[in-house]
Amino acid sequence: MKVLDKLSLRARLGLLYAVLLIFSVVVVGCYSYWNIWQLFISNKSSQLRARAKPIIEHWLVDNDLTKSNNPHLKLNPEKAFILARDLTSRDTVAIVLNRKGDIIANGKCLPEEPQAPIPDKRYFRRALSGENEVTYRSQVNGKPVLVLLIPLRPRPASPQIFGVIQMSTLLTDIRKILFRHGTMLVSLVAIILILGIVTGFWLIGVSLKDLQSLLTSCNQISKGNFSQRVSVKNHRDEIGKLAISFNQMIEKLEATFASQQRFVANVAHELMTPLTGLRGSLEVLLRGAQDDPSAMARLSKGMYREVNRLIRLCEQLLGLSQLESCSNVHKQPIILSEFFNEFKANAQVLAGGRSLSIQQGPYVKVSADPDLLKQILLNLLSNALRYSPRETPVVIRWKLLPEQVEIQISDQGQGMDRETLSHAFEPFYQGKLARLVSNEKGIGLGLSLAKSMVEAQGGMIRIESEPGKGTTVFFTLPLE
Amino acid sequence: MNTDKNDNKIKILIIEDDPVITEFLCTGLKYEGYEVTPSTGGKAGFDALQQGTFDLIILDVMLPDTDGFKVCEHIRDCESDIPILMLTVKKEISDRVKGLDSGADDYLTKPFSFDELLARIRALLRRSGRIHESKRLRAGAIVLDLETREVTKNGKKINLTPTEFGLLELFMRHPHRVFTRETLLNRVLGYDYDGGTNIIDVHISHLRNKLDDRPPHLIRTIYAVGYAFHPEGANT
Repeated sequence: MKVLDKLSLRARLGLLYAVLLIFSVVVVGCYSYWNIWQLFISNKSSQLRARAKPIIEHWLVDNDLTKSNNPHLKLNPEKAFILARDLTSRDTVAIVLNRKGDIIANGKCLPEEPQAPIPDKRYFRRALSGENEVTYRSQVNGKPVLVLLIPLRPRPASPQIFGVIQMSTLLTDIRKILFRHGTMLVSLVAIILILGIVTGFWLIGVSLKDLQSLLTSCNQISKGNFSQRVSVKNHRDEIGKLAISFNQMIEKLEATFASQQRFVANVAHELMTPLTGLRGSLEVLLRGAQDDPSAMARLSKGMYREVNRLIRLCEQLLGLSQLESCSNVHKQPIILSEFFNEFKANAQVLAGGRSLSIQQGPYVKVSADPDLLKQILLNLLSNALRYSPRETPVVIRWKLLPEQVEIQISDQGQGMDRETLSHAFEPFYQGKLARLVSNEKGIGLGLSLAKSMVEAQGGMIRIESEPGKGTTVFFTLPLE
Repeated sequence: MNTDKNDNKIKILIIEDDPVITEFLCTGLKYEGYEVTPSTGGKAGFDALQQGTFDLIILDVMLPDTDGFKVCEHIRDCESDIPILMLTVKKEISDRVKGLDSGADDYLTKPFSFDELLARIRALLRRSGRIHESKRLRAGAIVLDLETREVTKNGKKINLTPTEFGLLELFMRHPHRVFTRETLLNRVLGYDYDGGTNIIDVHISHLRNKLDDRPPHLIRTIYAVGYAFHPEGANT
């Protein structure tokens, strides 16, 4: 089996196919050879019996044996010889045996007539016990002969058996026919095998061709060429289906890869802007602005803001990567009303005097990570506060759904247009409003972070927004 | 570009939404003697353009209300030849091509160094004929050739080290301006020079000797502050 493992799939299939083909063709060939041989033998023996039957009946009548009560007493060599001689021909010889098994007459007179084989005691006894159709093969001087034993009865079906006729005939001509037949069979088998194996290998090759192109594509992809696709000729067989799902997989992989690259490019972009501010401010300071206290103050405040922005960016990136590895989610049962009672203090600090209402919903116990839940809420809350006018309230409420709870954070701000809404969860995407309104610039990671955090806890997040009326963010958490 | 002396200062319009970048651009460029007008978006930039005349525009590609390429095209549609220097984060060649196609004259990728920005600004101004930068700086009998990097006094060549040359160039470019030792150190020896400021006093003393600078000095010591260059002293 280890040797088989080393072979290619094509060679293995081909070998298996060839072995099966050879086996079945040889079995069929042998069976047909044997069958024909049997046919010849039975044909020959019935032919001989048919010839012998009238001769024996004639002989019985001629010798007045049919009505005799003791026919064996009347069986003398002279009478037996007449019978044996009548039954003997150019390729067949008959001998007559009495009940003891002694040869009392031999039909062979001429030298071209074949010799009779020595009677076989076992078959003789079977014939003597009344078996009519004893036939067996034997050999005389190395030549194959067919031997028939015919019990002698005064009348058909009479239990009285007074002797046995042994007829033997040479099988050399049958042998010759069979040999011709056999060679023809062998050459046919060889032709069938060659044709079968050649077409078999060809067929296997054709059906494995897609597999081969799949392999080539895999090699290309492992070199980083993600635009590679497998061309599928036959969509119905397993390899075609494999190729189709392979293509789908590569498509997804390519998309993931591209979004990863986009993400990295965005990170670099977001790092570059504060770094530009920092570097430029430092250079201007070093070039002499440090001697002017007011310029010094302005530039250092700006630098402080940029450093904070960098720190925030790093923290959020770290948060995203931790969530992606899912290692930092510690779910536990949380009673929502109790959680929000504690959360209220944090939220009030963030709201900074603005109207914020947390409307208590039904008593529910959810399964969530309290730290993550707090981060999600602070995240969404600061968005809601940032993009809505100071005098409008922000509302948090929750309601029970089958097997989960839905938490809503609504503001009455300017809302988002369709374009912004469709990209809202993309990392680093910022709507036009975000870029205009915020004096302290956001990074554009807040919502995608919130989404990751919700999904890490087995929930879903969505946004409903109408320009001019406000925005509501919905997210679900599984019930305990 | 002895702009300190002239009343007709070079006017630069900055269209950039990031407050920190705007701040350092304004402060830094003012120190270099330019008159700077900041504006935070494409629309505000157009308004400023309509109200005043400018010699150069520094334009950020990412603006809150529109993108820099559009602003650039619009400016080119209205006013023909004002030099535009674009700032962007993207390094892709396609973006550079897009920027230059839309009518920008030059391109700087963030984060850029302020020195490079100044060099680009000078090059753009020179190319557009807005300044005629002399290849020689003069202060009385002293002539400093910026191309050959040679200094002569009354036609006699004076051998200066690169540091001394840098100090003299800085002084001659900004006559009367008071430089602290710290600033001189940063400007001449580089921002990452770690030594003490005493080295500046050593270089100044060498420079004075070579220039045969006797009291009242060309390079005057300002007590407790630093040094300043007074070209009128060169005649004595």
